[in-house]
Amino acid sequence: MSKNLIEVRNLAKHFEISNSFFTGKKKIIKAVDEVSFNIKAGESLGLVGQSGCGKTTTARSLCLLEPKTSGSVNFFNPEKNIMESIDAIDEDGMRVFRRNMQMIFQDPYESLNPRWTIKDIIKEPLDIHNIGSLGEREEAIVEILRTVGLTPPENYLQRYPHEISGGQRQRVSIARTLIMKPKFVICDEPTSMLDVSIRISIMDLMLNLAKELDVSYLYITHDLAVARYMCNRIAVMFNGKLVEIAETEELLNNPIHPYTKRLISSIPIPDPGYKRERYEVNFDELDKIISSNPNEKMVDIGNEHLVATHDTKDFFIET
Amino acid sequence: MDTVNNSENNSLKYESLKRNFNLFKQSKIGVLGLVIVAFFGLLALLQPFLFLTNIWDEATYHPVVGYDSQKIQATVVSCKDIDYPTPEYKTPNDCPGPEEVNIVAVAPYNPGIQEGDVIEQFIQPAPPSSKHILGTDSLGRDVFSQLMEGSQVAFVLGLLSAIVGVGISTLLGTIAAYFGGAIDAYLMRQSDLVLMLPTLPLLFIISAFAELQVWHLALVLGIFGGLGGSVITIKSQALQVKVKPFVDSARITGGSRMKILISHILPNVAPLALLYMVFSVTGAIASESILSFLGLLNIDMSWGLMISVAQADGYINQGMEYWWLVLPAGLAVTLLAGGFYLVGRGLDDVFNPRLRKR
Amino acid sequence: MLRYIVNRFIQMVVVFFLFLIISYLLFDAIPGNAFQNLLLNPSLPPYAYEETIALYGLDQPLSVRLQKYIVNFFKGDLGYSYIQFPKTAIELIAERLPRTLMLFSVVNILAFYTGFFVGKILAWRRGSKSETWITITSVFSYTVFYPWFALLMLWFFGLRMGWVPIGKFLTPSKWYDSPFDSDVVFLEMIKYMVIFSVLYFVITLLTKEIESLNLRRNIRLGSFFALLFISNFYWNTGQLSEMRFYAGDIAYHTILPVLTVTIVAFAGTALLTRTTMMEVLKDDYILTARAKGLSQKRIRDRHAARTALLPVVTSFIFTIVTIIDGSVLTETIFSWPGMGQLILESVLREDIPVAMASFSFIGVFALIAHFLADVSYAFLDPRIRIKSQG
Repeated sequence: MSKNLIEVRNLAKHFEISNSFFTGKKKIIKAVDEVSFNIKAGESLGLVGQSGCGKTTTARSLCLLEPKTSGSVNFFNPEKNIMESIDAIDEDGMRVFRRNMQMIFQDPYESLNPRWTIKDIIKEPLDIHNIGSLGEREEAIVEILRTVGLTPPENYLQRYPHEISGGQRQRVSIARTLIMKPKFVICDEPTSMLDVSIRISIMDLMLNLAKELDVSYLYITHDLAVARYMCNRIAVMFNGKLVEIAETEELLNNPIHPYTKRLISSIPIPDPGYKRERYEVNFDELDKIISSNPNEKMVDIGNEHLVATHDTKDFFIET
Repeated sequence: MDTVNNSENNSLKYESLKRNFNLFKQSKIGVLGLVIVAFFGLLALLQPFLFLTNIWDEATYHPVVGYDSQKIQATVVSCKDIDYPTPEYKTPNDCPGPEEVNIVAVAPYNPGIQEGDVIEQFIQPAPPSSKHILGTDSLGRDVFSQLMEGSQVAFVLGLLSAIVGVGISTLLGTIAAYFGGAIDAYLMRQSDLVLMLPTLPLLFIISAFAELQVWHLALVLGIFGGLGGSVITIKSQALQVKVKPFVDSARITGGSRMKILISHILPNVAPLALLYMVFSVTGAIASESILSFLGLLNIDMSWGLMISVAQADGYINQGMEYWWLVLPAGLAVTLLAGGFYLVGRGLDDVFNPRLRKR
Repeated sequence: MLRYIVNRFIQMVVVFFLFLIISYLLFDAIPGNAFQNLLLNPSLPPYAYEETIALYGLDQPLSVRLQKYIVNFFKGDLGYSYIQFPKTAIELIAERLPRTLMLFSVVNILAFYTGFFVGKILAWRRGSKSETWITITSVFSYTVFYPWFALLMLWFFGLRMGWVPIGKFLTPSKWYDSPFDSDVVFLEMIKYMVIFSVLYFVITLLTKEIESLNLRRNIRLGSFFALLFISNFYWNTGQLSEMRFYAGDIAYHTILPVLTVTIVAFAGTALLTRTTMMEVLKDDYILTARAKGLSQKRIRDRHAARTALLPVVTSFIFTIVTIIDGSVLTETIFSWPGMGQLILESVLREDIPVAMASFSFIGVFALIAHFLADVSYAFLDPRIRIKSQG
């Protein structure tokens, strides 16, 4: 059993809306509500849920793009070989954290600075952290371009992002992300804006690189099929809360939470002969687990399969 | 290897420049503006060339101290304060007529002169001729040369103040957008404060302190333009860039605020700033002309001054009779300011992706 | 939200305070003062100058004067004019402001309507030859060298054609035996214009819901002429029938300035409308309207123009703020005795109380407009209301 790379405890992110003009009455939106999970070294976690359920906000709070409201995030500092809390690290620790944590964004058209050449874009992290001599940086760029399949690299170095295709741009994003050999990469639906024909090659590339470079992903997607392809474990999110988290196959074969069941039943199977099993939306199974563990937020039902026990009746109001 | 890369890089840049220019050519008004600006640019450059090559000698053609005049034989007449029309003249303005001179004007220099004498007379202002293609003014100075000199002033002042202004507003606008909070509030209130001051009276006050040179005025116009409303426009553009994922990814990697501001946000605000600059040249040229028209600028020659002199000497009230004193300078201000505006419009129409034809 | 407004309001007061101080220091820094010509007058004893200075408190140090000025300012006492002594600064502004406001509100309304109309047509005909030509004409009318253009207009219509008077507010010879003060007549004219525009505005509101575009236009046009007809009776009643002659004289003098400024000012609105309209025309709902089979005119006037109106109106409001600033040049050239001339005179002759009062008037005007714009944006834009916690 390998060590934890990231430990998230009760992470919350709230937004405040004053909806009355004069009284200033405030309404709080809990975009991320007490989320907890671990990611082990070399393992990938899929974060699945419908649009607007707080997946991206979780990711953004995790990598300090937005200050979190409460909760703690610990990460493994490979230089000191200990777990450190990101709220209580020194400058040096922060530098290590920044080097080891990267993010790939959804929109390949917006995630590369349109005024920079590909070379400059990929070189940026090396410049920021001042890694290697100028010559070594050039070599590293050529090397990483080859690794992500942009060959021959010389053809790409001096180009601008608008001169290459969406799939190539996402490869550049991946190259930029991986050039510092981080241990942990957050992927925010990196393939959802690409043509279907290119998606699988990008996903394969990411899987291969994960093995080669020993990277863990937090893979955010709304598509269970993609999560299954990419991840060892899957966490299902609904309205800012985690509802279920388990090993991929365990979750898909033995879903407990009604929301997970619904998600699974919505995966299209390209086989006309396939007889879809319709899950009954019933809360009996869940209610039984909840009543036997009245004090816990997430209940482990074996095989590291956790199910949320918050009030289930909130779900499916829309349906 | 390096040189190969560089030349390849240059040719790529040249290609992209060529493509952008072809795109710009689609906009007819933009091309017209460019032609106008280029025309006045050539005028501005032509004058020193003519002087250096001695095609024009400075004594005759210098815009400020040059002198030349045409001689004619004029009959001395006497224009009395009587009721018009008289048999010879319809209105007081018609006396003295062409090839005539009023005795009151020449008597002090020619003692003993009589009505009906014929004397040699210089005509100033002289109408256009092959030697002076736009004629001369009331002091015998070449109007075309003055026009060229005014063109130089307009270009220097317009571009200088636009660069200063856009530089300031780009810097402050991006800072306000990126840092937000108290800095933003301070900068926005500062721009309120500048917008509250009435421009023309303020320039009157400033000109009371010191003689305004052209470059002083360029700085003043630039600074006030840059601190005022354009900060708000640039800020809103910078706010849009600030939330782009490439800025986020630089933050995740650990880039410092300054570095992100300079290398990510500024370059992406630059195109709008450039457009703003083209438009602010228009305003600067108009301001300069108005100030020199009002005599607030310590300057030897400019388009505004030409109009001011023509008005003070009463030629504008005589309308088209002295058209070469009235029209060229005013048209030049209008056309050059409009030319820059058209270039800006053309750029906006073609490169603003929301307007681009689908 | 309330906190935002209060916060913004406090900032506004601070800015105004700074504005007052900066303006006062600027005026103070101008070399010399308003009474120096007393020194040049040989028939006055030498102590006359010192006594006058002391009378106005100009011998006191700057810090004392500034402090007194600001305290009195917030008490509502803006002081007496140095040059036109018995009048106070407020009286002078009250006399001059209506003249400027009337001239420029007529200009702005005319310029707004013509500009919006032309801009609408321009955007609609994008790419056509007429669009290119009208755009080019508008641009040059926008960038025309204003004093030169105004002088040419004066020459052509005033001197050459003799259709309109050359400058000034009224013809003095007609007013020698006038039983009325020019300001009284002028205020009466303003009253009439306000009533007229309010009535017409009410008619526009009432006809807003009429579906047929032609019918709506005809009703509006008809009621406009009906109002003109009623005006005829209005100016025939009581004292007004005697005032008519003098009011006509003033109106006659406004024609040329109004025409000149409108020609220059309409172009800005036209060009802005053209740009915003073009952006709107690319939006999907215009395509939807086309797909629904609506007539071209209806799409243009009801769907596109209405959306494009918002930014144009916003910029129009900001133009109103700059009216007084912009009036300086116009009033100088047309010898129109309004606020612009007052500011210019007071600055040039260092009549500090009047200059300060005019400046602060402009300042308050601008601040309120900016404040309202900010607050309404905050109200309309939910992103300003959301605050991240953490």
